[in-house]
Amino acid sequence: MIEDWHQPWLNGVELLEDSNHNKHFLPTGYEGIDVLLGGGLCEGQLTEMVGPSSSGKTQVCLYSAALVADKHFGVVMFVDTCNSFSPKRIACIVDQLSSSFSGEAKERRLKRVMSNIFCHSVFDIFALLDVLHQLEFKLKQQVKSGDTKICLLIIDSISSLLTPVLGGKGSEGRLLMVSAGIILKKLANEYNISVLVTNHMVGGEGGILKPALGESWKSIPHVRLQLTRDQGSNICNVSILKHTFMATGRTAKFVIHSRSCSVQDGRGR
Amino acid sequence: MEIANLPISPSHRAKLLSAGYTTFSSLSAVSPSQLARDLNIALQEASDILKVVSDITRSESLHGGNAILKGAQTAWDMLSEEQMQKRITTGCDDLDTILGGGIHCKEVTEVGGVPGIGKTQLGIQLAVNVQIPVEYGGLGGKAVYIDTEGSFMVERAYQVAEGCIMDTLDKFGHHRKVILDCQEQMQPNSFLANIFYFRICSYTEQIAVINYLQKFLAEQKDVKIIIIDSVTFHFRQDFDDLALRTRVLCGMSLKLMELTKTYNLAVVLLNQVTTKFTEGSFQLTLALGDSWSHACTNRVILYWNGNERHAYIDKSPSLRSASAPFSVTSKGIRNATSQCKRVRMM
Repeated sequence: MIEDWHQPWLNGVELLEDSNHNKHFLPTGYEGIDVLLGGGLCEGQLTEMVGPSSSGKTQVCLYSAALVADKHFGVVMFVDTCNSFSPKRIACIVDQLSSSFSGEAKERRLKRVMSNIFCHSVFDIFALLDVLHQLEFKLKQQVKSGDTKICLLIIDSISSLLTPVLGGKGSEGRLLMVSAGIILKKLANEYNISVLVTNHMVGGEGGILKPALGESWKSIPHVRLQLTRDQGSNICNVSILKHTFMATGRTAKFVIHSRSCSVQDGRGR
Repeated sequence: MEIANLPISPSHRAKLLSAGYTTFSSLSAVSPSQLARDLNIALQEASDILKVVSDITRSESLHGGNAILKGAQTAWDMLSEEQMQKRITTGCDDLDTILGGGIHCKEVTEVGGVPGIGKTQLGIQLAVNVQIPVEYGGLGGKAVYIDTEGSFMVERAYQVAEGCIMDTLDKFGHHRKVILDCQEQMQPNSFLANIFYFRICSYTEQIAVINYLQKFLAEQKDVKIIIIDSVTFHFRQDFDDLALRTRVLCGMSLKLMELTKTYNLAVVLLNQVTTKFTEGSFQLTLALGDSWSHACTNRVILYWNGNERHAYIDKSPSLRSASAPFSVTSKGIRNATSQCKRVRMM
C-alpha cells in the first residue's frame, strides 16, 4: 500500500536528463536579468523578485508575460493583488515586439497574445490559496486533455497578501505563508511551470532596507533577485540574492523602455 | 486543500485538528450537533464551519468553461474594457495628459505633497469633476469624501462646483438641447448633494468606515470616486505597536483595492510627507514608510518648482514618469498660467 502513496525514486542521471530536456528557460525580455538567471525563468522553479517601491518589479512581470505569450511557450496566468496589471502596457510591449508587422497582422497578433494571458485579482491570502487549488485541479485535467497548458504563473505581489496576517501573537500567518510556498513549488515541479512572485522591502536595522516576509520565507524561493532603481532614471540594477547554480552577488543592469505606442483604438468609445 | 488552509478562526482550526478531523472527507459525513459535541463549541459555530467546507467542495466540482479559473479574464477582454472607460478629469489639461486622460477607475492613486501644495484642493476638484454629466463627457457619478483632518471646506466646494459648471457650459455652449436636458443637474447645490462626507476622528473610525463602505457602495450604485484626506493622519501618532500598524495599514489597502475592482470606482488617497535621513542627507518622502509605498497602483507627488506647482508621476505600471505644472485658482485646479506668483502672507 505504501508503494501507491510515495513519489517514484529518481536517480541523478534521470534528473540531469530531465533538467536538460524538459526544464526550459522562459525569457524575461530583459537581457541583463536573463543572463543573471542563467537563461531566464526556469520551469519547475520558484523565482522571487524583491525591491523597493517603483523599482521595476511589475514591469519585469508584464514584460515576461507578454514575451512568453508571444513566443507560443504557453498560457500565462497573472495573479494581481494591487490592481497593477495594465492591459495597455502589455499592448504597448506587443506592439514593440511586432514592429515589423503591419495593420491587420499586428491586430491579429495582439489578439492572439492577449488571449493567452489570464489575469485574476485576489485580495486576501485565503482567496489566493483557493485560486492555487483550482489551478491544480485544472492542470490535472489539462494533462489528460492536452490543451495549451500554463507555463508561467506570476503573483504580483505576494507580500501584500501576507503582510496583514504575519506577526501578531499566533503563528497562523507563518503557517499560511509556508503553505502557499509549498503549494507554489509543488505546482512548479509537477506541472513544469515557472512561478514568479514579487516581494517588497521593509526597513531593517540601521535603516537599511531588507526584503519583507522575514526569515521563514527566505528559504522558500529557489531563486531570489533584488532590484533597485536610481532616482529619476530608467536604469534598474539587479543582483542575485540566492540562486541554484549562479554565484550570489552578481549584478546586472537593465533599462525600462517607456516608448509611447500607438495601440489602435478602433473598438469604439 | 487541507483544513489548515480553511478561512476559519485559528482556535476552531486547532480544535478541528486535535479532534481528529484532518481532511474534508471526514467532515462531509458529520452533522452539526455531532461536530459541536466533539469540538465543544456552540451549534451555530459548528454549522458555520460545515457551511464553509461545503461551499469549497461544491465549488471544486463546478469547474469547466473557457476561463482557466472562474473569475479570471483574458488580457484582451480587459484591454477592451479599459479603452471604453472614461477617466475623471482633474481640471488641468497638462495634469490630465500625464495621467493618461485623468484619474482611472479601478485603480488606487496616491497623491502626496508638502502642506499647502494643493492636495485638498485636488481632492475637492475631483469630487466635483466626477459629477459632470455623461452628456458633457464626464462620468455622472457621486463622490465619497472621507475627511480625517477637517480640511474640507463646504464654501470652497461650492466655489469649485460653480467654477466647474461655468467652464463646462462654456465648452459645450453650442449644444443647446443638451444644456436644457441637464439644467437641473448642473446646479452647485445638486453637486454638493452628491458628495457623501464622512468625518473621522480616530484610526478605529477610519478602519470602521472602510469596512462599512462595502455595504454603503452596494446600496449607492453611482459612487465613482472615494477620496481619503489624508489617509495617514491618524496612524502617525499614538501608535505604540508598529508591527500592528503595518498589519492594519496593509489590510486597509487590500480592502480599498478590492473596492475599486468590485465597484469599478477610483480611490484617491492624499498623503502627507515626512523627512527621512538617507545617504547622508535629509530627503522628503511620503509618510508611513516603505510598507505603505506599495499599497497604491499609481503615485503622484506634488511639489514646488520655483513659484509654480508641479505634479510628478512617481509610480505607475502603465504611465511613464513625467511632470506637469498646474495652478490653484478661485475656480479650482486649472492649467498653469505663465506668470503665477505664490502669494506670500506676511
